[in-house]
Amino acid sequence: MWSAAACSFPQDPDGTLKRVTGGVLRVGVSENPPFTRWPGGAPEAGESGEPSGTEVELVSAFAASLDAEVAWVPGSEADLMTRLEESELDVVIAGLQATTPWSSHAAITYPYATSIDDKGEEVRHVMAVAMGENGLLTTLESFLLAQDLAP
Amino acid sequence: MTRRFGRTELPEEIEAMVRRAVRLEWISLAFLASAVTVVYLVMGSSQAMQAAWAEDLLSLIPPIAFLAAVRLTRRRPSARHPYGYHRAVGVGHLASAVALLAMGLFLVFDSASGLLMQEHPPVGLVVVLGHEVWSGWLMVAAMVYTGIPPVLLGRAKMPLARALHDRVLYADADMNKADWMTAAGSIVGVLGIGAGIWWADSAAALFISVSILRDGVTNMRVAAGALMDERAQTYDGNDPHPLVQEVDDAVARHAWVDQNRSRIRDEGHVFHAEVFIVPGVDAVDVEDLTGLREEVAALDWKLEDVVVTVVDEIPEALTAPERSSTGPHDAD
Repeated sequence: MWSAAACSFPQDPDGTLKRVTGGVLRVGVSENPPFTRWPGGAPEAGESGEPSGTEVELVSAFAASLDAEVAWVPGSEADLMTRLEESELDVVIAGLQATTPWSSHAAITYPYATSIDDKGEEVRHVMAVAMGENGLLTTLESFLLAQDLAP
Repeated sequence: MTRRFGRTELPEEIEAMVRRAVRLEWISLAFLASAVTVVYLVMGSSQAMQAAWAEDLLSLIPPIAFLAAVRLTRRRPSARHPYGYHRAVGVGHLASAVALLAMGLFLVFDSASGLLMQEHPPVGLVVVLGHEVWSGWLMVAAMVYTGIPPVLLGRAKMPLARALHDRVLYADADMNKADWMTAAGSIVGVLGIGAGIWWADSAAALFISVSILRDGVTNMRVAAGALMDERAQTYDGNDPHPLVQEVDDAVARHAWVDQNRSRIRDEGHVFHAEVFIVPGVDAVDVEDLTGLREEVAALDWKLEDVVVTVVDEIPEALTAPERSSTGPHDAD
């Protein structure tokens, strides 16, 4: 499939997928259980911590498929989106939904799963990728869709 | 049913052309409705696709203007509208021109700012019937679908626009013929995104916007000229209409005519002609005048509303030499 390899179509203008493959995937994590958690509290600058949650597990597996390490970066959604726009991050996970207002600041993935909320309405779950890095975007989307996630 | 343009009974072959043009415009509307829907569904974040969508949406206006004008111009002249309703064509033409101009300006601004802000358009996967597809391929497919039929429609409309002397139809056909460039531009933009060239999309959008803007400016000039009683020009507004010369020549052939000029304006499909004559004799026969009027009216189906008048001097504007050889827009 064209989106499975770094040299395929579509390509990244800034070459993120190539850099990440065998390198480091920089992931912003904003706490939003059960998708994302900082069990020991978000680490301060200079400290290191390990997040958990369903989206953290998905991204860890994705990084493993690219043979990449993950650098987890804590922060608020607004803070992380700004850093994503400034190319300091590659992916942001925060239990985002497809209706997220951040779509003008970040590339939003195709919904990887749907669930039903308390009001009985359908919720479509997404992640955010650096704007225009379509190689990374489609590779992540393809990986998530292949996970066959139960709603 | 006999079609008419006001009080002008149309010759059979012209009537058949009107029917054909009406049918082509209905086909255009049906096709455009489907194109607008398809492009809207797949356009996503691509600026070029959004510009192409806007152009498809705007392309709806000329066919609607044409169909409305054909309906209106059929009415006979009345006490309230003694010249008939032919100007409806001009109104429709101006309306399409203003729409094109405004949308062109907006899109040029929008795509230029996309370039300046270095916006990187995201184009990801979608799932269609259980298959993952890069949405860029869907955009390319949509553009192939919307790019080809308008060119064929435009080529079919062009000769009708010429024969019917219909500027709205001409503007529409001209835009249709150029539609493939919009489609090709969008395809280049989308493939550019796929190749990792972020500016390809905005650049393609800018190219499309400039072509919309240019259409708007051209149409505005021609439409405004016709509404300001410019001398009758050819359907594209570029040359004096040959009938002006034909009328002058036909009148000059009469022995009792010393000098003559005609003032002919374009009412839409038909012309309104005023023939000024300085007679070379002391008394002019009423029969000569009415006979001349009928002779001029018989020159072409477009000439029905003809006034012949005797004067002691030809109006100055009609004898003034043409300032530019191309003619229509002296200030150009």
